[in-house]
Amino acid sequence: MTPPKHILGTFDEALSSLRNNVLMMAGLAERTLDRATKGLLERDDSLCTAAIADDEEIDQLEKQIDKDGIDVLLRFQPVASDLRRVVASMKLSTNIERIADQATNIARRARKLNRHPALPEVEIIIPIQAHAMTMFKDAIDAFIREDVDLGRAVVARDKDLDYMNKMANRKLTDKMGQDPKALRGYLNLIFISRCLERVGDHATNIAEDAVYAAAAEDIRHQTAAATT
Amino acid sequence: MVSLVEMPPETLTQQVPRQNDRPVDETDGATVMIDVRDVDFAYGGNQVLHDVTLEIPPQAVTAFIGPSGCGKTTLLRCINRMNDLIENARIIQGAIYLGGTDINSPKVDVVDLRRRVGMVFQKSNPFPKSIYDNIAYGLRIAGIGKRSQVDEAVEKSLRGAALWDEVKDRLDEGALGLSGGQQQRLCIARALAVEPDVVLMDEPCSALDPIATAKIEELIHDLKKQYTIVIVTHNMQQAGRVSDYTGFFYLGRLIEFGTTSKIFTNPSERRTEDYITGRFG
Repeated sequence: MTPPKHILGTFDEALSSLRNNVLMMAGLAERTLDRATKGLLERDDSLCTAAIADDEEIDQLEKQIDKDGIDVLLRFQPVASDLRRVVASMKLSTNIERIADQATNIARRARKLNRHPALPEVEIIIPIQAHAMTMFKDAIDAFIREDVDLGRAVVARDKDLDYMNKMANRKLTDKMGQDPKALRGYLNLIFISRCLERVGDHATNIAEDAVYAAAAEDIRHQTAAATT
Repeated sequence: MVSLVEMPPETLTQQVPRQNDRPVDETDGATVMIDVRDVDFAYGGNQVLHDVTLEIPPQAVTAFIGPSGCGKTTLLRCINRMNDLIENARIIQGAIYLGGTDINSPKVDVVDLRRRVGMVFQKSNPFPKSIYDNIAYGLRIAGIGKRSQVDEAVEKSLRGAALWDEVKDRLDEGALGLSGGQQQRLCIARALAVEPDVVLMDEPCSALDPIATAKIEELIHDLKKQYTIVIVTHNMQQAGRVSDYTGFFYLGRLIEFGTTSKIFTNPSERRTEDYITGRFG
């Protein structure tokens, strides 16, 4: 249910602007991550360069969201759900910026890989990227739609991503032993897999903040026993 | 609950042990200082409180918030029977207990009740007398006439209200010459002089500048170590800063009561959320 508007219209406008900037930032980070991995899989340096170039705009949006958040705290002294949304927005922007940084790292590694013959093992990255991207999108959806169940589901999915990264590391390490000439390429793939695993960690943080914003429930650092 | 019907008028003094006098171990474990039970209150035929029930803990600050006309000041004034002064104003149903004593029992001495439950108003109202006499007045009424005792109590009260250092060299000067914030602290000192258990504050900072407000808020923070404080405020940020518990009133009903932290981060009731976030009022 949409909450009624504030008596202060400018308060609604400020909250709406904050929310829109978070959405815009998330959209840009998603595009950056998508371009970086496409640049890798399609061996397209221009996509990698575009991904790296996006980072600047995302950094600026992070600063803008922090500035707007502080401005809302200062001018309107929000409480209850408004306060949670403002605090969560500011925390989200940090995590989205880190996701964009991971995408930039992936793009840089992809450009290095693209200078050498293609490695068939690059396909290992596809399911990892898909899983990380879905976690990220769903975490943002959970925040925007205030969907506590979806937020919890995203958090639970992080273990799968960790496992996929672990398996990829094992497989690529084995390949390094079998094909030492391509060692540098396999190392780059291990690094990219690790970057995607970190994207999952940031998506988890976003999902946790989404649950806090929607339900005032802090689900961070819960043991496995506590969550079941 | 102790029935007081057969008890003599002085029972309030006996039944509500003065916190100042009580050994620390006796105050430990006390969970309710003021117990409001199912209270309906009306001014003539106009009922303004409906079935209000809440328990106000001792040695803590409890804030009443809500839009104008919601009944928060009426309830505050019920706690020391200030509404007795208004014709046809009465509790229709329910009771208010102070330390287990029904304050509306005919056996209760209302003068003694008001000594035990002090009150500070929206606008500071010092007597047109000297600073010293403002404090000494209540003491003399209470039968304390010995100069040394009065001197001691005046200093203690002014220190308690964080005013001593500012006025100690001009106690004989008129109280009306003090600034608004100092006058309000003088009124708090006057309330403290007779050693109450409870201090009621009805928007005590609404006429003060931010610095004077901060001093009163700091004072409230210090006073709660010794007194039970109930404050009515329209300033939500003030309620958030100074209180441990908050009750939200709307249309004469207590909508929600809980820790201030809970009320201001995650209220249970939609009406509370809408009010404190500024969506109606």
